[in-house]
Amino acid sequence: MTSIPRAKAFVFTIALPLLYLAGVSPDAPAVLTLVPEAHAVVGAPLTPVSAAGVARRTTRRVVVAESSATQASAATTATAQQQAATAQQQSVTAQQQSATAQQQSATAQQQAAATRPAGAPAVGAVVATLPAGCKPETRSGVEYQNCGGVLYRAAFQGNNLVYVVQ
Amino acid sequence: MQPTVYRRLLAALSQCFAIAALTTLAAAAHAQSAGVAPEAKQLLKASTDFLASQQRFTADTRNTLEIVLKTGQKIEFNSTGRQSIQRPNRLRAERTGDLVEQVFIYDGKSLTLSNPQEKFYAQVAAPGTLEDMLDFARTKLDVVAPAGDLVYKNAYDILMDGVTEGIVVGKAVIEGVLCDHLAFRAPQTDWQIWIQQGAQPLPRKLVITTLDLPNAPQFAITVTKWNLHPTFDAKTFTFTPQAGAKQIDFLPR
Repeated sequence: MTSIPRAKAFVFTIALPLLYLAGVSPDAPAVLTLVPEAHAVVGAPLTPVSAAGVARRTTRRVVVAESSATQASAATTATAQQQAATAQQQSVTAQQQSATAQQQSATAQQQAAATRPAGAPAVGAVVATLPAGCKPETRSGVEYQNCGGVLYRAAFQGNNLVYVVQ
Repeated sequence: MQPTVYRRLLAALSQCFAIAALTTLAAAAHAQSAGVAPEAKQLLKASTDFLASQQRFTADTRNTLEIVLKTGQKIEFNSTGRQSIQRPNRLRAERTGDLVEQVFIYDGKSLTLSNPQEKFYAQVAAPGTLEDMLDFARTKLDVVAPAGDLVYKNAYDILMDGVTEGIVVGKAVIEGVLCDHLAFRAPQTDWQIWIQQGAQPLPRKLVITTLDLPNAPQFAITVTKWNLHPTFDAKTFTFTPQAGAKQIDFLPR
C-alpha cells in the first residue's frame, strides 16, 4: 500500500459493500468509497460533464468497487461482472488476453496463477479499490499489488484509476 | 384562527399559487415550443466564436458533480481546476477535488493522464490538433476533459447538435460579472450557459442536466477567472514524471 496515499488507505479500511460506478465521468473515482455504509449497494449513475458528449455517449462502463477483503468474493465479483456492459466485457476479455500473454512470458506469473487462493476474484475483474493488506510486488519490471495472494495491476479506465485482477 | 378556516385559507392560497405557477409554466412552455430563439443562437455563437479566436488562455474553474445513489439520494462532489490552452495543439488541465487530483497534458504529440497523489500516469500517442485529440480521448480512451465542448473551434455546432429549444432567460450576475443567461433543451440534456456581456463574451458558467438518469443529476462548471494573456513556460505543456511515479496503461475500451 505504499503507493496509496494515507487518506485513501483509511478509506479502504472502511467496510463498504459493492459499489457500482457506471458512466464516463472523470470526477467519479474511488470517491464513492466515502459514501457511508448505510447506503449500502450504491448504484451511482454518473453525470456526463459534456452536453454534446451526452448525445455521443455510446457505452457505459462499470467499475466494481469492492471495499473489504472479507466481503469480496469470487461470486459477487462474477455477478457484478455479468451485469457489466458489453464494453466492459470486451475490456475484460482484452485484459484476460494480456494476462494470458504475461503468463506465457513470465514463469513467476504462471506460478502465481497456479497458486491463486480459493475464492479469488476472477482474472480480469476491474475494481476501484484494493482490498486491505496489499503489498507492492515487482515482477518482470511491472509493479503489482499482492493482496492475500491475488495480484492487482493499476490502470486507467477512462479518467478513473482502477485495479485489474491478474 | 380556527384550524379549519386556516386550512381553507391555505388551500385557497395554494390554489392561487398553483394557478399562477401554471400560467407562468404555460407561457414558458409556449415560448420554448417555438424552437430556438434567434437571440439565444446569436449570443451563444458570439461566445463560441470569441473563444475560438483566442489563441492562448487559461480558465480557473469550480466544478460540482452530482451523483445519484440507488436510493435516489443525490451526492455532490466538488473540485477546482485550471485549464491552459494554446491553439492549435497544447492543453493542460489540472483538477483537484474530493480525493481526486489529476493532471491531463497534451503536447501536440502525446496525451498524458497523471494522478500525482497515487504516483501513476499513463501516456499515449495522440492526434495533432486539440479537436482531434479530444475526440480521440473520448472515443478511444473514455477520457473526458470537463466542459471540453467549449474548447472545440466548432463548439457552437457541437453544443447545438440535437438542440430543440433555446431561450434567453434574462440577465444574471456570475462571480460579479454581468451575464446573459441562456437555456437550451436537447433529447437527453437540458443545459444552461451564462455569457459575459460586453466586448468579451466569455462563458462564465455552464450547467448540464442529465435527463435520462434518475433524479436528473447536474454538472456545473463556473469560471472564476479567465486570463486571455497567460504566460506559459516550457513546463506548462510538458509532462515530467515525479520521482517514483509509475507508468500504467489505459484499459482498452
